[in-house]
Amino acid sequence: MNKNYVFLTVLMFVLALGTLFFRETDKPEETAPEQLLWDIIRPNRYVTTDQVAKRIIQGDPSLEIVDVRNKDEYSRFSLPGAINIPLDSLLNKNNLLYFGVPGIDVVFIANDDIASDQAWVLTKRLGFNGTYVLKGGLNRWMETIIDPKEPSEEEPATAWAVYDFRRGAMMYFTGAKTGNVESSKVVVPIKRRKKTNVVAGGC
Amino acid sequence: MAAVIITGIIILEKPLLSYKSDMQESLKDLNNKDAMFYPWQLNDVLNNKMQNVVLFDIRNDYDFSHGHIPGAENIQAEDLSDKGFFKRMKNLKEKNTTVVLYGNDQLQANGPWMLFRQVGFSNVKVLAGGYQYYVQHKDDLAASKTDSSFMEGIPRYNFAKMAAPKNGAVMNTSTEKKPVQIQRRKKTTVVSGGC
Repeated sequence: MNKNYVFLTVLMFVLALGTLFFRETDKPEETAPEQLLWDIIRPNRYVTTDQVAKRIIQGDPSLEIVDVRNKDEYSRFSLPGAINIPLDSLLNKNNLLYFGVPGIDVVFIANDDIASDQAWVLTKRLGFNGTYVLKGGLNRWMETIIDPKEPSEEEPATAWAVYDFRRGAMMYFTGAKTGNVESSKVVVPIKRRKKTNVVAGGC
Repeated sequence: MAAVIITGIIILEKPLLSYKSDMQESLKDLNNKDAMFYPWQLNDVLNNKMQNVVLFDIRNDYDFSHGHIPGAENIQAEDLSDKGFFKRMKNLKEKNTTVVLYGNDQLQANGPWMLFRQVGFSNVKVLAGGYQYYVQHKDDLAASKTDSSFMEGIPRYNFAKMAAPKNGAVMNTSTEKKPVQIQRRKKTTVVSGGC
């Protein structure tokens, strides 16, 4: 018998044995406590309602909104395209499949930001990256996007720019734009003058 | 001899912190009312009725120097991961001292609170409402028993109603709102020009 064949056969068995030691899944590794604490105290997981609104309007496919409230609350209202993973069932195997997908940003939403932050800490401990928390939650969503407050006269031009964006976003999310179809008024984009402190008076 | 070396290596490699509760336990612990510290309980601490409580303020030292809960100690969030602080926490736990973490709002202390509980510091609580609620209600903390404004996780508005389509597809709301509301700026200052 050829020695080479014996060698190859043995090699095959060794490699076959090796496959037994492969892990079933390529689950990410659990984050060490010190590292997790370090991640927790950095505020870069928070996203604003404006950022999320912008991405929804733009139809950004890399955005995955995860509503961690219970089923009831979710069925009554949620953000467009949001999926429901109640915090209690966050650790279910099927639900965890939504996290750690390369190129996808998961944004947790809840009534405010505590539950979503808790979901973030738990998924972070499991080692998932690319998860974010909607700061202020749906309460702030209502205050800023659905019912934006007009800034006062004294506020800088940037506040007015934000307000203009929110007015537009409000129309997008509430369908207000299509509200008055019978009127033939052309929607005129209003550009506000930037504030200048220099009073141009004189003759 | 070998045993000495091996134990030496084990001691060296031992991480400072390790998780004491698994994921499911940590998740359940979030609903633990006993892990919360409520504003009205602060009264007892401030009146020295409740001994054995330590307050840690995790805001930055600038905010701390501009006002804090009496008796609180400032441990900035960045310093929470100091080795010295872990030792301190271990000592406090051995003495059965309740540790209350608070930040500017509850959110700031939420993460550190979760982590410390997950690594076994079951004596750590988080102040509901955070410093902001305390400052606004410090004259009448007992009233917080019947106040829900610091409670987290509750909707403040009727979302569905508020965000309903304005064209009446679902809710026939009043048509007062026009698509574009031109609001002219009021004149704030009278221009006094002239020669």
